[in-house]
Amino acid sequence: MQSKLSDIELINQTLAGNQSAYADLVKQHQRFVFTLAQRFTKSREDAEEVAQDCFIKAYRSLASFQQQSKFSTWLYSIVYTTAMTHLRKKRLATDSIDDENTYLQIADSHGGMDANLAENKSRSYYLNIAIGQLLPDDATIITLFYNGEQSLEEIAETMGMEANTVKVKLFRARQRLKEKLERLLKHEVNELI
Amino acid sequence: MNSIEEQLWNYIDGTCTNAEREQISQLIIHDEEYKQQYAELMQLNNEFSSIELDEPPMAFTYNVMEQIRTQEASVPLKAAINKQIIYAIAAFFVLTILTVLAFALRDINWSSGGSQTTSFKMPASLNSSEIKSFTSGPWMNGFLFFDVVLGLFLFDAYLHKRNKPKQNDLYS
Repeated sequence: MQSKLSDIELINQTLAGNQSAYADLVKQHQRFVFTLAQRFTKSREDAEEVAQDCFIKAYRSLASFQQQSKFSTWLYSIVYTTAMTHLRKKRLATDSIDDENTYLQIADSHGGMDANLAENKSRSYYLNIAIGQLLPDDATIITLFYNGEQSLEEIAETMGMEANTVKVKLFRARQRLKEKLERLLKHEVNELI
Repeated sequence: MNSIEEQLWNYIDGTCTNAEREQISQLIIHDEEYKQQYAELMQLNNEFSSIELDEPPMAFTYNVMEQIRTQEASVPLKAAINKQIIYAIAAFFVLTILTVLAFALRDINWSSGGSQTTSFKMPASLNSSEIKSFTSGPWMNGFLFFDVVLGLFLFDAYLHKRNKPKQNDLYS
């Protein structure tokens, strides 16, 4: 059985002209890139557009990837920049995303996946909603740290910040996420009563 | 001094020094408040780690590769041509010119032009009918045709370059 090729092997094959190697690279990272894009756009359609744009940009500048950092770190920095540009273009109000529309969109995007779960209103369900209600920067830091397995230094590189700033932001993001989660759970309990 | 929560997060993330680590682990064992908060934060940490990633649409990879293929197909001829081919063509023309020049210089009767008033004389062996047959041959026609195509290509590139800033202005 053929073992899964590493990012560097796939990059070298892509640079040698093998496009299917890049397709494999996309498959390996698409879930995370898509999730990260969704943390900014708050909609699946826009997230798909941003994520596709990121992979095309990465393909075009693959030759300039120095391989000094992880490919994922380099790719996530493209996602971060592209998503920020997308936000700026759409002129979204990034300081308040607690509006009903956003809430419904996020709940819907997760609801689709959990449709078969009768008890989908679990803690993790609310956690996904809560993370969707965070500011894009907070949600990105949480996602990169916990899902992307990125160190504080790598997140700093991705977001163009100091590692210490990221550490402080991570602490605050976790506090906000905890508060939002508690508020959502409290609201659910009240509704049940 | 950091708050208890901040200290505990540093402890969980492993971003504190060895001395701090030792101190906090002792506090977790002996201090009830630390112990309780630590348990709470560890539960949150585990929950955060288990956040599921979203699944992109089924055709995501296909769409990305299709867009790449489309963009690559629409790359202008100027960018698609290998530079080495251009250098080879340039070398061919330079070599041709040099060869023609060398033949022309070889046939010139240098000794006949010894006087001060340098009157350039055509080589004696050079007759006009011979030149005519040379210039009207299929090779020369092909050469001229290629030159015209090359000229048009350069003119197109020039117009393309001139129009580009105007297009950029439209998008900005």
